[in-house]
Amino acid sequence: MKFKTLLLSSMILASTSALAEPTHRLFATNEKDNTVSVIDSRTLEVETSINVGQRPRGIGLSPDQTMLYVAISDDDAIAVVDVKTLELVKTLDSGDDPETFGVNPVSGHIVISNEDDGEATFLDPKSGEKLAVVQVGIEPEGVAVSPTGKYALVTSESSNMVHIIETTDYTAVAHLVVGARPRGLAFNSDGSLAYATSEIGNEVAIIDMEALKVVKKASIDVENSKPMDIKVSPDDKMLYVTTGRGNSVAFLDAKTLELKGNVPVGKRVWGLDLSKDGSTIYTADGVDGTVSVVDTAKQERVKTIKVGAFPWGVALDD
Amino acid sequence: MVHLKKYGMFLAFIWPQWLMANDIDVTMHYIGPTEGQVWLGVQQGIKEANLQGGFLGQKYKVEVVEPEALDKTNVETVLLLATDDDYIMKVAQSEQFAETPVINLISRNDKLRQACIPNLFHITPSDEMRADALAQWNEKNPDKPAEVMSWHKDFVKFAASQLNNRFEKNQGEAMTDQAWAGWAGTKMIADSVVQTMQYDAKFMLNHLKTNLVFDGQKGDNANFRENGQLRQILLLVDNNNKIVAEAPLRGFEGGLDSLGKVTCK
Repeated sequence: MKFKTLLLSSMILASTSALAEPTHRLFATNEKDNTVSVIDSRTLEVETSINVGQRPRGIGLSPDQTMLYVAISDDDAIAVVDVKTLELVKTLDSGDDPETFGVNPVSGHIVISNEDDGEATFLDPKSGEKLAVVQVGIEPEGVAVSPTGKYALVTSESSNMVHIIETTDYTAVAHLVVGARPRGLAFNSDGSLAYATSEIGNEVAIIDMEALKVVKKASIDVENSKPMDIKVSPDDKMLYVTTGRGNSVAFLDAKTLELKGNVPVGKRVWGLDLSKDGSTIYTADGVDGTVSVVDTAKQERVKTIKVGAFPWGVALDD
Repeated sequence: MVHLKKYGMFLAFIWPQWLMANDIDVTMHYIGPTEGQVWLGVQQGIKEANLQGGFLGQKYKVEVVEPEALDKTNVETVLLLATDDDYIMKVAQSEQFAETPVINLISRNDKLRQACIPNLFHITPSDEMRADALAQWNEKNPDKPAEVMSWHKDFVKFAASQLNNRFEKNQGEAMTDQAWAGWAGTKMIADSVVQTMQYDAKFMLNHLKTNLVFDGQKGDNANFRENGQLRQILLLVDNNNKIVAEAPLRGFEGGLDSLGKVTCK
């Protein structure tokens, strides 16, 4: 009985420490003016902007959502910012030219793509220790870590591949060929499937994570489409893909890859994030210097927020 | 017996995978200078092909052929040429290469395109494409002289800077038009092998004509026109060697095909 109570209370403790009260802040990296815009996602007003280093690109949150991570490409670092106080807590050595990263939802480790070196760096943000450097193809870009934390996926843009790396021993277990210039990656909710976009191939590929094989590919029927970032709806039924110079978010059936909708947003749209309830998409519109807010049910843009120069990515603390 | 059966099952299981993982060993044949920019471009392309193919157990090499030995050479996949126009024309039209892709890397001569030889492809932009790019520029900027280039060491967009960086790091000099052409001709073949797992010349010829999706690190998908010319943007560079625009310029109809001829008509 005593043990049970102890277990229960420690479980509660674990769950409360696991997820901090969300700030509902939306963060956007502005690549060309070296700032991160902070937006209140409830009012959709810009609250402030913070300066974290030169050429901020990739952006994401720690699993407990207390820390914001930003890849500072020209400083070869990951900036760690307190989500509540907005203070720069520390900067971590990321290896050369970090473009973007994924966060392991279980271990909290950061997996970074080092664009100029053709490497993926595994980093422990608590200690700042580099755990491993894994050779991948030319121009690594997108990174995603599976929901169970078992696999890290890295795309290499100029080698046309998705590299699958086991996070326990940092070995690459598969190199899957996808369409030309692969960019973004996303997992479905249980990690059984992954999705990869290809910018020049104008494709989305479905990867079976049991078989470690590409099981389906389809092109996106949107004018000037150059697929970039991708997210999966919480019910796993829909894919949301930013189309770059297609200036839109394409809605694709997650199973058939059929185009189910196409919502115009700002020019040269790159990164996107999705609210946990799946109701709202936020996009970084590079050339327009805006963040677009898209209602997924209505399939329309409901708000455009002016941010800094060339927003690259967005992350929501909800 | 039981053992044998097991052994057989094991073989049956492992054999196709073993084949797929190891059986691709690609030789690209090349006639042209073995020093200077176009050769460095070919070297860079092969280096990247091996980096990419290495993950899949594939190997790539370039074999230099002397013109006098060409008729005795078995060209399995592709023949890359950095030679004079008459030689390109002669080789491409020979019976020996009727079903082999012959790639003209650096000649800009319009006549080679207008000949519309079905197995002949052209990487570098033609004289006519360059003239059209300049005409577009002059129409909008009559007082600012500019020169047309297909590549530039300061080109940054579409991950061009990444290609410039790695070329200079590996080859010890900046990438120019000719180096880009050497790189593109080689890399496009390697990318096609990786995508299709095939490298037979006849297959490659058909693939280049109908299914090519190639990232030349110049933006849009670079594929071939009916006349064998590679679609691509061009750069306008001013007197100070500064990139001032990309052609097609904004406001001109027809996209990439607003530069030069497209069909064989």
